[in-house]
Amino acid sequence: MLLELLGVAALLFGLFFCAVGVLGVIRMPDSLTRLHASGKVATLGLFGILLGAALLMPSTWLRLLALGLFVLLTTPVATHAIAASVYRRREIVEELAEGGAPAEASGFTTVDVTSVLSRSHIQDIIKAQERALRHHAPEAKSSSDK
Amino acid sequence: MIEHPVAQAAVQLILLALVSLLIPASYRVIVGPTLPDRLQAVDLITTLLIGIIVMLALVEGTENFVDMAIALAAFAFIGTISIARYISEGRVF
Repeated sequence: MLLELLGVAALLFGLFFCAVGVLGVIRMPDSLTRLHASGKVATLGLFGILLGAALLMPSTWLRLLALGLFVLLTTPVATHAIAASVYRRREIVEELAEGGAPAEASGFTTVDVTSVLSRSHIQDIIKAQERALRHHAPEAKSSSDK
Repeated sequence: MIEHPVAQAAVQLILLALVSLLIPASYRVIVGPTLPDRLQAVDLITTLLIGIIVMLALVEGTENFVDMAIALAAFAFIGTISIARYISEGRVF
């Protein structure tokens, strides 16, 4: 009886943090702040749910502990990879804004072909997304003013 | 598994609330302005799915569903890492 009460309380704790994380992912203005909000779902929300499940179903506590340890090990790595991709995209945008042309114009000198291909590919993606961002910007500003 | 009827109803309601959280999370996948935003929202959805599978194991009383959650966590990690590497480097390998 007491174990079930504690388990349901832990499940509600996890559900609260999941809801807060999803709300933060919708409402936060920047992609790095959104990353901060979604990290709360992976740690506090999922760990509350795992603790509640271990209290309500005690025979599976070892598997739930393994799942928790795995999530605890892999989530920071995945979050770091996403944050690094955001940061590198921003670096490339600044470099292009300063007029640093990519290596396509350098003629017959020794140029790494894969880096040229990937750089131009990234440049196309960034141009398209900047166009989309300029298109979406007035709506975002008016919705954040409300 | 869970004897008390109030606890059973609470667990089912929590499962329903977790499933309904998937709809606002997919909003960021659809309208997210840049590519890392969409990747991050997909990562959030897989984290919610792991919680949903664990809650489903509680509701059904089936212990083997937890193994499914472990497998989903492993594959979600690999997918997130490779797509983030594709975004930042322009290629996967």
